Amino acid sequence: MNRALDLLHRSDVQKPITLVDLDTVEPVYTLRPLRKELTVLGLDVVAWETSETMGLGEAGSVIRPDMRWVLKRPGSIVLDIGYGVKGSKTLNIIEGAGEDPELMILLVLNLGRPLTGTYEDMLEYARELGPVHGLINNSHLGEDTSLSFIQEGALVVSKVGKVLHIPVVATAAEERFRGELGLSDGLGHPVRYLKRFMPHAFW
Amino acid sequence: MAEIKPIVGEKRAFMTGNEVCTWAALAAQADIMYGYPITPQNEVMHYWTRLAPKYDKKFLQTEDELSAGFTTLGGVLSGAKAFTATGGPGNVLMQEPISMAEAMRIPTVMVIQQRGGPSTATVIYSQQEVNLTTFGGNGEGHRIVYSTATHQDLFDYTIKAFNVAWKYRFPTFVLGDGYQAKMRESLTIYDPESRGIKMTSSEPLIGQPGMPGVDRDPSLLRNTYNTEEELYVVIKQFQKDYDEMTPQIIEHEEFDCEDADVIVLTHGVVSRSAKMAVRELRAEGLKVGYFRPITLRPFPTVALKKALNGTKRIFLAESAEGQFYRLVTQSIYGQTVPIDTLFKPGVGITSEEMVEKLRTIF
Repeated sequence: MNRALDLLHRSDVQKPITLVDLDTVEPVYTLRPLRKELTVLGLDVVAWETSETMGLGEAGSVIRPDMRWVLKRPGSIVLDIGYGVKGSKTLNIIEGAGEDPELMILLVLNLGRPLTGTYEDMLEYARELGPVHGLINNSHLGEDTSLSFIQEGALVVSKVGKVLHIPVVATAAEERFRGELGLSDGLGHPVRYLKRFMPHAFW
Repeated sequence: MAEIKPIVGEKRAFMTGNEVCTWAALAAQADIMYGYPITPQNEVMHYWTRLAPKYDKKFLQTEDELSAGFTTLGGVLSGAKAFTATGGPGNVLMQEPISMAEAMRIPTVMVIQQRGGPSTATVIYSQQEVNLTTFGGNGEGHRIVYSTATHQDLFDYTIKAFNVAWKYRFPTFVLGDGYQAKMRESLTIYDPESRGIKMTSSEPLIGQPGMPGVDRDPSLLRNTYNTEEELYVVIKQFQKDYDEMTPQIIEHEEFDCEDADVIVLTHGVVSRSAKMAVRELRAEGLKVGYFRPITLRPFPTVALKKALNGTKRIFLAESAEGQFYRLVTQSIYGQTVPIDTLFKPGVGITSEEMVEKLRTIF
């Protein structure tokens, strides 16, 4: 969401900006409840309304036609897909995903999640996902995030990137860290500051 | 295979509640999970199966929750630290195996993530499985039920559930809900040993060595009796054991009750809103107190009665239509303190709502 909104204000980026909810892994923390809010801000949002869904994934998730054909849309497209192997497999049902030379798959990594809580675990996780074009360090502990934790995450993600020959595109951090962190995470990666929307996204 | 510890020492982590339950079961040295999918607890199974090979654990997906429950019992009978997870209609189905666990004193551990009811209802959230989890089945509710409110609770009480189940031999439940299951927050995960918590060993309940009656007492694992009198003796003994156990395991949380004019009574995730509401109103000078039972079975009756001494009103809130209310009123029978209620079956309760309602009481 933050990335799509950021692109909206850049003149060097093709418009319109489309944000697509393809998170079939965890149908809770999705942008679906924020669809109206994001549309008002200027984004094209391809997502179900919560009231249009049945069982929130219990009996499978239904893909909309405009999701399946989303890569044919003009402008710039940000796809939000779920985590893990299941998340990355979602791209299998998007028309043209396998052939589109402009599609970049960015892996967002959080040192705070036990599954990626060590260098070894993070490396193993990244390896099993298939094609990845860039890494984003999003190391945090929610409300308990500290500057040192973000930077520790940057170190580990960098190490993973070096071994896998995948560039670290950026470090993400909440807006409240801007004064302390500045423009770079200490390892030369630009910092993308995040406004948190999810506390408002209750189903 | 040399044992690899899933958690070494302790550290802060950020994850969903379901994932927390999995890590806690691993930390508690659980051997096997038997499971059947149902929202909102599926990820307990997903993470367990993902992590099981690394830690030499086992998993069996069964054909339904009846089978998941009975296979869990079977696993425990064979000496494994077995557990399962379910919610909603799955919890309804599990009452048959749970009844057997009560009858045979089988130390099962079950994570229940409540969803809307009755029947399929919603896959989302409620506190509508209190009846079911505390007194479901065709027995006397000889079970232990922890109602968690935070991810730290989910971790701590899943570990505790294994110890308590194996020590006292009553089926034990961690009662969460769909919100706790799916939301993400930080907590401290730890190796129990690093905190001086010794995990109770499991042992086979069947196939014990030696001749029964000669080398050892008979195991007497049975769930069926020939006469009413036999059953009567057994149930009375179970109740005696339960009553003796109660002071050892009963838990609750309270603050500001001593001088409270109104005491807010909640359990589970609703307690988070209650805590915020009570603190906000106290800061304004209103005498509000907070009481949260952590064990719904056994219920902290003594502590609640003491907390209610001198109070003028009770304000009870739950995401159900009176299931917690019935536990409370049964517990404090004879008390004449008026009770105001906020019943929101299947719907979350915010601190703002509670504050608004509490202001009308003062």
